[in-house]
Amino acid sequence: MRKTTTILVVLVVAIIALIVLSPFYIVREGEQAVVIRFGEIVASTQEAGLHFKVPMVDNVVTYSARLLSWDGDPVRMPTRERQFIWVDTTARWRIIDPRQFYTAVTTMNAAFARLDELIDPAVRTIVAQNDLAEAVRDSNIINQIDRSESLVEIQGVDDAETERLREITSLLPVVDVQPSIAKGRRELSNEMFDRARETAADLGIEIEDVVIRQIRYSEDVTDEVFDRMVSERRQIAELFRSYGEGRRQAILGEMENDRQTILSEAEARAEEIRGVADATAAQIYSAAYSQNPQFFEFWRSIQSYRETLPRFRATLSTDLDYFDYLYSETGQ
Amino acid sequence: MAERDVTPGGSGFSFNPRVITIVVVVIVLLVFAATSFFVVDATEEAVVLRFGRYVRTEERGLHFKLPLGIEQNINVATQVVRNLEFGFRVQEAGVTTVRSAQDYPQESVMLTGDLNIVDVEWIVQFRVNDPRQWLFNVEDRERTIRDISQSVVNRLVGDRSIIDVLGDERIAIETAAQIEMNEIFGSYGLGVNVSAVRLGNVVPPIGRVQDAFEDVNRANQELVRLINEGREVYNREIPRARGEAEQIVQVAQGYANARVNRANGDTARFLAVLQEFNADPQTTRTRLYIEMVEEIFGEAQPGTAAAAAEAGGTATGPTERTDLIDRNLSNFLPLLNLSQQGAQ
Repeated sequence: MRKTTTILVVLVVAIIALIVLSPFYIVREGEQAVVIRFGEIVASTQEAGLHFKVPMVDNVVTYSARLLSWDGDPVRMPTRERQFIWVDTTARWRIIDPRQFYTAVTTMNAAFARLDELIDPAVRTIVAQNDLAEAVRDSNIINQIDRSESLVEIQGVDDAETERLREITSLLPVVDVQPSIAKGRRELSNEMFDRARETAADLGIEIEDVVIRQIRYSEDVTDEVFDRMVSERRQIAELFRSYGEGRRQAILGEMENDRQTILSEAEARAEEIRGVADATAAQIYSAAYSQNPQFFEFWRSIQSYRETLPRFRATLSTDLDYFDYLYSETGQ
Repeated sequence: MAERDVTPGGSGFSFNPRVITIVVVVIVLLVFAATSFFVVDATEEAVVLRFGRYVRTEERGLHFKLPLGIEQNINVATQVVRNLEFGFRVQEAGVTTVRSAQDYPQESVMLTGDLNIVDVEWIVQFRVNDPRQWLFNVEDRERTIRDISQSVVNRLVGDRSIIDVLGDERIAIETAAQIEMNEIFGSYGLGVNVSAVRLGNVVPPIGRVQDAFEDVNRANQELVRLINEGREVYNREIPRARGEAEQIVQVAQGYANARVNRANGDTARFLAVLQEFNADPQTTRTRLYIEMVEEIFGEAQPGTAAAAAEAGGTATGPTERTDLIDRNLSNFLPLLNLSQQGAQ
């Protein structure tokens, strides 16, 4: 029984000794380690798993083997045309050579400080060598986008009006043609990346990429930009208003035109109808009257006298045939 | 643990090494058992490490692993879609999601390709599709996703005009951002798949710039209103003009009918009388003549052949009375005429 207890105690002590004076060290996935003995690097590993070391003597320093982020502060800097902008960049990097890294940099904080020194100047240099448009834009698609549909949203007017409006607005320089760019933002990022990368290699560091996270105007120009944006909008608003006013007048003119045309056509038709009727009447009259012109003369005259004579204040002379029998029963 | 305190120091219990051994063995077995199994939920996958080294990935269910921390499992929720917001933050997700009042201009303010300023908010949805990569390849995972997402959206917005960004290019930006982010994350071995990029509020800078954009919308409405006003007047006037035209034609038609009818009537009467006249010209002619004189002087002027001078002087109208002058008193005529003219 005593023996069993002894075995147990020995076992426990051995386990404790193993833990305290461990000849092992564990490198987890995503980590790498250097083994330092009396200030000398004696080993390094990027393999995850269980590794041996000399207890008490060897010191293990682990670093991340993962992809790391570098986050620069936004920096105010001028472009080639002396326009000041805030540029915010970030970079991805990793420790590829832990020995080198331990020798040259040692701590992560030091590494970030070194990266600041590498990347910031690269960003500054590249931005200063290029126009603002090269940093903002990435291609020339801005000049290729078809905006004919998006300009004006017209509701409540008919298709012909929509079509006319579209014609007008397609002539509008709502987006001015932008100067072509040669490189673009990705290309500039690559140039920054190339500049920074050259100097990073002897730190045991590899920079994976440098990207521009944000570009903003410097505060002192923001107001001017706002002014410009406002005036651009106002120009479009005025065009809409004036076009609307013009269309209204045009429609009123069209109305006047249509009205006059309709009425004058009607009048022309009316005259024609009257003329035809007059002609028909004349035909009817002459067809009848020509049968006996003498009688017509007599008939028409006495008819006319009936019409007109009552309007005169008459003083009759007994010379009238009517009075022939007034003086003589023979009518002489 | 409580048992251990009791057993060795138990004064009323017989101290037996065999019992101790059994207890120790049981405890060890329990510890082994407790550290040998793990459960993976249906929403998860588990990565198993042996001494820190990746050995395998397990799907849902109950699984065995080497005990005492020799093998470790890390469960990763691979089925869960995660959201990242840019330019705003969700304070409280729920039926009515609450946004935090704070703005994040360092994320949302962007320059457009025509060098205007625009404020863009968006979300990125992603899912872990490779837990091993997700756990071990990239250090600041969320920050990396944020950085790249910002960079990509910023670049896509920077490539377009403000009108495009506010309008029809939204979907193009969303699609391109998703594709490009997946490419970049793939090259990092981040082990995620971006399932959607959704642009939220995209607005011009608040204040007078936004007002100016609003004003364009208002002008657009005004344009439509003006055109409709014109149409309204047109629609009010033209149908009436058509009616007027119809009236003019109808009146003329009426005149024409009347004219022809009158001609027919006149001639019918003439022809009828002519027939009579042809039968007996002499008496018909005389009869007609006398009838006419009767009609004019007989009916229209009652009281004929009165004193000529008196009547001429006080005549008030042409139809009152007719003067009759004897043909034998031929020298009277000019005198009367003179006196009448003088009286008028």
